[in-house]
Amino acid sequence: MIDFLASHSPDIRHWLLLSAVLFSIGLYGLLTRRNAVAILMAVELMLNSAALNFVLFNRYLMPGMVDGQVMAIFVIAVAAAEVVVGMAIFVALFRYRATIDVNRMDTMKD
Amino acid sequence: MNPDTVTGAVWTVLFYVLGAAAILLALAVVNARRLLRAAIYLMGVLLMSAGLYVLLDAAFLAGVQVLVYVGGILVLIVFAVMLTRSADLLEDNPSLRRKVLGAVASIGFLVLTAAVFLTTPFKPLAEGTPPKDDALVIGRRLLDQGPGGYVLPFEIVSVLLLAAVIGGIVVARKTPPPEQPFTSGGDRAGEADLVLPKSQRPARRAKGNP
Repeated sequence: MIDFLASHSPDIRHWLLLSAVLFSIGLYGLLTRRNAVAILMAVELMLNSAALNFVLFNRYLMPGMVDGQVMAIFVIAVAAAEVVVGMAIFVALFRYRATIDVNRMDTMKD
Repeated sequence: MNPDTVTGAVWTVLFYVLGAAAILLALAVVNARRLLRAAIYLMGVLLMSAGLYVLLDAAFLAGVQVLVYVGGILVLIVFAVMLTRSADLLEDNPSLRRKVLGAVASIGFLVLTAAVFLTTPFKPLAEGTPPKDDALVIGRRLLDQGPGGYVLPFEIVSVLLLAAVIGGIVVARKTPPPEQPFTSGGDRAGEADLVLPKSQRPARRAKGNP
């Protein structure tokens, strides 16, 4: 049992599949949600899986380096900036229009 | 029994357990009716990702993930959910057509990507072992001015974060300064008249109840 598990340790394709599944779930949320905060959460899922991709490529393709991890840190920092601005916009919009339904954010179309 | 074998077995089990938990929690994030619960499930996904980073020999990054994502970004999301609370907005129920189209698009994307990376041979670009003190190596790399260093992106990210902080304050502030009437729906009398027609103006609160 232990030998079987040790000989079936995940290789890069298992990791890539996991990250692609997480990204697809985020894409599904992005396409189906109507609430702006829920859409932002789906985007966070996608950003997180992208950062995971950077780290796993780092680990499997050039394990002696840390460039992928540095990129993942930048991804996290950009995600933080994005969430700050997005949430400020949603709070201001909600105070003004009393909705954060993206189907009703259509004033700029007129 | 060889201790390396036992460690390998434990890490295999951890990969599948953490990966399955992350996928289930991510499904819960995009399907939860209540946004506050979705935020808690998102916290679960991010914590599972931190565990996966540990499995990938990126312990420092796992710490950053917990501190920044779980401690900072998620708290912000929970605050936004609470500040934009309203009876009908918490229930987010997509129509069947939307669900089917979203599922087709995302599963199509998954199949396409999986087909690409399952047929691609991945060869290591450089041999080596993961550094033991990865926080030290990452820190030196971030501030390295030589070739392959990341000091310029590091400084640019710090400016970006400063801009995001100032922008967040300006956009979400309650009362705009007099010369800046268009920042947001402030509570000065007559400000909404500048921007919106009468039918779309938000209801004013009673005086003395800020």
